[in-house]
Amino acid sequence: MAGEHITQEQADEYAIGSLEPVLERAVALHLAECAACRDMARDAERLASLVALTSPRLKPSPRLRHRVFAAAGITRPSPFRRAFTIGRAAAGLAAVIVAAGAFTGMVSIKGQIGDLRQQNSDLQIQIDDALSQKVELAALTRKLDDQEKLAAQLEERSKDDRELNLAFMSPSTDVAAVTSLDETGNAIGRLVWDSEQKRVWFVASELPRRPAGETYQIWVNSGGRYYSLGTFTPDDAGFARYETVVPEGLNTYETAVVTIERAGGSPVREGPTVFFVADLSRLRN
Amino acid sequence: MAWDGNPETPGIRNIGRTAEFTRPAEAELASRIDWPDDALMVAIVARDEHAFAVLYDRYVDLVYSASFRVLADAQLAEDASQDVFVRLWQRPETFIAERGRFLSWLMSCTRNRAVDELRARGRRRKREGGPLGEPDEGAQPVFSTEPVDPLHSAQLHEEQAIVRGALAALPRDQQVCLELAYFGGLTQQEIATRLHEPLGTIKTRIRLGMQKLRRALEQKV
Repeated sequence: MAGEHITQEQADEYAIGSLEPVLERAVALHLAECAACRDMARDAERLASLVALTSPRLKPSPRLRHRVFAAAGITRPSPFRRAFTIGRAAAGLAAVIVAAGAFTGMVSIKGQIGDLRQQNSDLQIQIDDALSQKVELAALTRKLDDQEKLAAQLEERSKDDRELNLAFMSPSTDVAAVTSLDETGNAIGRLVWDSEQKRVWFVASELPRRPAGETYQIWVNSGGRYYSLGTFTPDDAGFARYETVVPEGLNTYETAVVTIERAGGSPVREGPTVFFVADLSRLRN
Repeated sequence: MAWDGNPETPGIRNIGRTAEFTRPAEAELASRIDWPDDALMVAIVARDEHAFAVLYDRYVDLVYSASFRVLADAQLAEDASQDVFVRLWQRPETFIAERGRFLSWLMSCTRNRAVDELRARGRRRKREGGPLGEPDEGAQPVFSTEPVDPLHSAQLHEEQAIVRGALAALPRDQQVCLELAYFGGLTQQEIATRLHEPLGTIKTRIRLGMQKLRRALEQKV
């Protein structure tokens, strides 16, 4: 949302209250920063608020009036407060004189409007401050969300590590060394094949990242034909860990290779080979 | 100088707050009955209890009715209405006349307060609520008084009739979506789930409904 203006449709959805909480928060955050969108949203809110007028007219119980006034603090002052008020009056004679003036009509509401405007202006500053705090809070919330996502990713990675370790220890697993065909490179790797669970891992380090438009693709050879196991991309440090399941119907395998193919992968092996995996059947035996 | 937990408003206006108040004298109320909403709010910022009383009597039915529509419970609707008016008294500065009509602001406050309560109740009971169910007739208060401000009350009724007409003129499915969102506090996804319709359909209905409502009301209200 940041940097983009909201649409009329989003303003309407925001006003009627139908946005999902995450999007609603993003819109609110944007509105705090964008006067143009804020005007549009206010117009939409004015329209939406009219919907409230369609409610069937009901009357609350008479006791509500008393409850509201009592809760608002508009009640008969206690004796203590009376004494307090008298004390204040005695101490502030000048104020009392002005007050008397006010009570006798010396000062009209009109005369106070200027003060009230100033007061409104001050309050607007307070509202803006509060808005800024809201923005900061939203930023912190977003940061927290990011941290939570990161923690979830780390947890997922840890789980993957555990599964890979278990596969290493499984008696039904073959582990094959990966041979780099690029003599200038230092890439090393392993292919882990769990025949019982029909899962395969490819792990390599110091693998150069491919330029845009290219990707690594791993193939397994069975009966003289190559089957794709999928594409993968190393991270910035050159580390790659790719996990997949053995394709349905593929029961025998001999070797595997990693090739460079066009981005998105190729249906048939076409690109140059960068890795060759030793004879798996021999290893298994 | 903050009495009764209210914000400090320095100046002679505060002196009036030492006066006892139970129910404003008829003469005091009568002097403010013709005031427009914005003027009453200015007076409320100056802690004018009579102005607050006029505004309360002018809109309490509307606030209560909207709260009841959302919550479908007389007691909860009264609680929500009380919160709205107490907040109006304690924080009148949150209304800024330049930004729009008082009535729109009041209705937004009411709807938000009621929907907050509805969602809180939903979380508490861990069940889906039915905020748009028919009101429980037995739970409706029966108190009735003559309008304090007949002229304003008549204008309000006329405005209500126009808006009701505009909403009723929408196709039924669009009307239901708008009401589920506004009164039910449901998101588009929740509406889609409740109506067993695709999310895209719900989004379209809300978009078209708001467009038509805007066209129907922009000249009239």
